[in-house]
Amino acid sequence: MRSVLQSLALWGAACVVLCLWLGAGKPAPVVGMFVVSGLAVGSLYALGGIGLVVLYRATGVLNLAAGATGMIGVMLAWQLVHMGLPDPVAWVAGLALSAALAFGYGRVIAPPMAWREPVVKAVASLGFALLLLGFASFLWSDDPRKFELPTDKAAVTVLGLRVTVTRLFVVAFAVLAVIGTSLSLTHTRAGLQMRALADNRKLSALIGVPVVKVETMAWTLSGLLFGFTGLLFGDLVRLEPAVISFMVIPCIAAAIAGRLQSLPDVLIGGLSMGVIESLLTLSEPLKSIRPAAPFAIAILVLIVMNRGRRLTFAGEE
Amino acid sequence: MRNSLIASLALIVLLPFAASGQWANIFTSTTCFALAAMGAGFIYARLGMVSLTQVALMGVGGWVTLRLNHWANWPFEANLVLGALVTSVLGMALALPALRLRGLYLALVTLMVAGGMEVVFTAYQFPNGGEGFWGVGTSFSAPMRRPWIAQGDAAYLRYTMVVAALGFLLIEAHLLSRPGRAWAMIRRSEAAAMASGVDVTLYKTWAFGLSGLLAGLGGGLLAGSLGLLDAATFRASESVLLFALVIVGGARFWFGAIITAVLFRVAPGLLNSWGVDADLALIFFGGSLLHAVMTAPDGIGGQINALFRRSA
Repeated sequence: MRSVLQSLALWGAACVVLCLWLGAGKPAPVVGMFVVSGLAVGSLYALGGIGLVVLYRATGVLNLAAGATGMIGVMLAWQLVHMGLPDPVAWVAGLALSAALAFGYGRVIAPPMAWREPVVKAVASLGFALLLLGFASFLWSDDPRKFELPTDKAAVTVLGLRVTVTRLFVVAFAVLAVIGTSLSLTHTRAGLQMRALADNRKLSALIGVPVVKVETMAWTLSGLLFGFTGLLFGDLVRLEPAVISFMVIPCIAAAIAGRLQSLPDVLIGGLSMGVIESLLTLSEPLKSIRPAAPFAIAILVLIVMNRGRRLTFAGEE
Repeated sequence: MRNSLIASLALIVLLPFAASGQWANIFTSTTCFALAAMGAGFIYARLGMVSLTQVALMGVGGWVTLRLNHWANWPFEANLVLGALVTSVLGMALALPALRLRGLYLALVTLMVAGGMEVVFTAYQFPNGGEGFWGVGTSFSAPMRRPWIAQGDAAYLRYTMVVAALGFLLIEAHLLSRPGRAWAMIRRSEAAAMASGVDVTLYKTWAFGLSGLLAGLGGGLLAGSLGLLDAATFRASESVLLFALVIVGGARFWFGAIITAVLFRVAPGLLNSWGVDADLALIFFGGSLLHAVMTAPDGIGGQINALFRRSA
């Protein structure tokens, strides 16, 4: 809890300083608008990052196919809505497909690679991403499409700003996902087993943790999270296979903010990245390169995180 | 080794005669990407380091070459070499976090750099002779000078291939001498390398610098071929795809880099001209990458090599 408060203070301070610095002399509602829109984008990054971290902790795979998995789900959902099926059926089908793809990968492709280095596993998942992306681009040619959720129409007013319910929903869902996952990791048997696996795979297997079963659960859960992220990306950003597939890069930036470990840090880091990216619009020289903010922050986090560390012996990563 | 030399010489002499018009340009850009693939392939095969930013580094080399071309009246070679050197220095700067980070985290740093560079290239574009530091004019574009011995497309293709061959020989020379032995040792065990007096920091940085140098050369040559560069060529997704194909092509062999570049540059266009959807190429690439990672760690290049070994 203390470390969560610490990082909350740190990231919060960074955002507040940026707000005061860039927002000096600008009307408060304008600054507020950028903060709110940044929170929505940031929670998308965070949501993807949470899925990545849950999976990475349990299985040691950094899934570069996360974006592509979610993308297939939202494309299917769009197709079904387009064919006239009721919306909820389409959403459920899309989520189920994303979860099924992750499940299939975790069951068929991941186990034979379990003993390889983390970077090789990540590269293998890249192959899966290209496979899915090629498949989707082949099936759905480059016509402009739009995926809409009913919550886009409804809006509430926050701090004098009109915010669609979808955006509120993303933020709320990201927060709930962190709380839910953290609680189940600490309070359920499956969560205990996942933590054991994250700690030491070989020892967990020795004391009787059903490794494949737990890993498959982690894959399916992360697939569901990627599916949700995909649906929301499709709605809020753009419904285009390549764009959604490579949204995994900023999601990884958010995951790095949590050191690929701590879920609360992923959430706080992801939200702050979104806010900082959005606030940079106020700065004249940095306006045009503001989408690079999450990457720059992630590199900074990596460098700070490894400050003073000296590796002499080749470890697992 | 001798067979390789004969094969590459034959390729350099014959291909420019065979390739005409459009194809000469396609093969030139293929050779440029082969240079970058070589760089990424060798640090992966020799040091196990994953660089997901190789195409973005090509963009840096291309940017510097174009910038110098429109700024000073220097010969093409000077611009090209300076562009490659700047890229090399940037590559070494990338190695700085790599010295403490290993494996996955290093790959992530390079991925973040690729993502950031994409944004920067899109925002500032490539110099085309306009005013100011960024040198981007809207309504015109100044000519890009080519080397005086290679003004035509076919001659430029041969020029590019010679540079690529020199790049390959540079890697070979490294592998056969002190750095190569140091890298082999580091790959085996960093602790053992340190204990026997190898300067791990120096040689890792050096490897990244060499890889960046090759990418920078590729980018500069691409700028000379096209005269203009487009930010869309250097997206993060392209860097990621090139690395995927480096593994498919085979990172340990020189012809692996060529296979990589052909798959990257020629295959999609070829499929299109045959009336096949080029997106199918992605499915094939993804499948081959999974196959290569799981069962054939040396890629297509390794399989060709095994074939020749058996028959010889």
